[in-house]
Amino acid sequence: MSQDVPDVPTAQTRHPSAIAPVGLLVLVLLPLLLMPLAAIFIFAFEGGFSTFITALKSPDAIFALRFSLFIAFSTAAVNAVLGTFAAYVLSKYRFPGEKPLGIVVNLPVAIPTVVVGTSLLLLWGPIGLLGIFLGKFGLEPMFTPFGVLLAHLFVTFPYMLGSVKPVLDELEATYEEAAYTMGASRWQTFRYVILPALRGGLFTGTLLTFAHSLGEFGATVLVSGNLRLRTQTAPLYIFAQFEAGNVANANAVAAVLAVLSFVIFFFLLQYTGGQGRRA
Amino acid sequence: MLISRSSGLLPRLRSALPLIVFGLLALFAVGPWITPHSGSTAPRTIVLYGFSILGEVMNEGVFPAFRDEWRERTGEQVELISSFAGSGTVTNQLIMGVPAHIVLLALEPDAWRLADAGLTQHRSWRNLPYGGVVNRSPFVIFVRQGNPGGISDFKDLTRPGIGIIHPDPMTSGGANWAVVAEYGAARRQDPLNPEAGYQMLLGIWKNIVALSASARGARTEFEQGFGDALITYEQEAVRDKARGRFKLEVVYPRSTILSEHTVVVVDRNIAPGERELVDAFANFLWSEKAQRIFVKYGFRSVDESLNLENPDFGKIPDPFLIEDLGGWSVARSEIIDGVWKNRVLKELKR
Repeated sequence: MSQDVPDVPTAQTRHPSAIAPVGLLVLVLLPLLLMPLAAIFIFAFEGGFSTFITALKSPDAIFALRFSLFIAFSTAAVNAVLGTFAAYVLSKYRFPGEKPLGIVVNLPVAIPTVVVGTSLLLLWGPIGLLGIFLGKFGLEPMFTPFGVLLAHLFVTFPYMLGSVKPVLDELEATYEEAAYTMGASRWQTFRYVILPALRGGLFTGTLLTFAHSLGEFGATVLVSGNLRLRTQTAPLYIFAQFEAGNVANANAVAAVLAVLSFVIFFFLLQYTGGQGRRA
Repeated sequence: MLISRSSGLLPRLRSALPLIVFGLLALFAVGPWITPHSGSTAPRTIVLYGFSILGEVMNEGVFPAFRDEWRERTGEQVELISSFAGSGTVTNQLIMGVPAHIVLLALEPDAWRLADAGLTQHRSWRNLPYGGVVNRSPFVIFVRQGNPGGISDFKDLTRPGIGIIHPDPMTSGGANWAVVAEYGAARRQDPLNPEAGYQMLLGIWKNIVALSASARGARTEFEQGFGDALITYEQEAVRDKARGRFKLEVVYPRSTILSEHTVVVVDRNIAPGERELVDAFANFLWSEKAQRIFVKYGFRSVDESLNLENPDFGKIPDPFLIEDLGGWSVARSEIIDGVWKNRVLKELKR
């Protein structure tokens, strides 16, 4: 911080009336973002710390959190590879149909998650287009953890792509060309030249994927069957408990999810902040 | 910053922090798979789907009781896995293929839909005890403490200015019962007026301020402070009264319906090896032990003598059943579709 001090006065002279806009922003954010978040924690601890712990200790709650984390890790791992591959292909190759493909891979951002869930059911479900055939082999991907994973892969696909592709696009082609002239194969070039440059993009992309998977609701509620101790994720648990009137249970898990997202966001800020300072 | 950037430990700890945090989270996530299981063999599983208000009584009461009984009888461990939502939602989930062995529906027409989709034989549930009806609950009105609106019967809900919370008949079985209760009560109290039922429904639906996907959802919404009155199962009140956490008041209408909840064994999802266990569980639901648990949790037993055990059951001067309206096939086409959907909703342009 000490080296920043000389900048402060100039910043202030440039924006003499910062108090009014900042105050207004905080005033808007307070009921919009901050107070609802605070309410979760206030209600979660309403009955004291011990009720909070008891609520978290129920097998259903533990399973839901565990299952959500498991799915989030799996989603992040699979999409880290798939997303990077998609980004690489879209960034390095020129081919007919490149534009439409670029739109298709980004589509999940715009599609409502409930629609994603419905479409997965209509494809893979027991009465779905492919599901009918799979059923004959005893394969039923929907209403299993695998179905949840499929939904999360779909919904979070663009986040990895969005974090990695811009870095790839800006990467100077000269490094790659140098590698090729030195006799490196495509894989070696990717492994030793491109991948190290992607570290930041991979990190933010994976975190974003993880965070979105952790909070996914719309698609999950349709494809999971919402079975406790089997396919109920933490957000589904929160909704089920809230609907059942067990607001304390819902809030306890909601508070944990909120803390997790704070942590993820903190890491993201740290990383992007660090990048900024070095640049 | 006090510690300079080049000094070793703190920055290194900082950059390792994400790794540590996510490592711990990953460990927590896969914990059960990497810790060795304690000796016993994998339990057999029953998957049950049920309509919303059954969550507590099944998970806390009936499941543990059956688990104990089955262990005593056979020495086997049974695991019961469940999911609860509005009856219509549950039915749709089953038709879409969720792997349920047994399902508890709020009303029989949902069972017809399961049979239509080939999940079980038509009327197969009628071979179960009491024609598949496992318990009942009369439809009552919840109001705020002190009954500020002075509501004493369904007809008071048609007064202008009363805000009503109602479950949605498209997804909730309870909502269908509520519509039939409102309609039936009006017809019974004004038997000479064939339009009494229509007028009652129109008056009530004019006052509806929120629709919820399930009976339980409607009640949670009401408890959050919305509306002046809620039409729902008596069970919701009885259970909470027993635990001393009921903060509303119950109004018993002079005439109202006793809902009947249907058990369906989902034949298509049951492997031959699971049959005996699922049937045993289905029959257990009508055992005296299970029926007593239902009564304790505020449902009225199909065995009337057991209902004396719960002092919180209220008096209803003129109770009626769906049979009195000609059964669900008549009630469905004449009341739900004929009056509610085709006349009331059209009139209100909803």
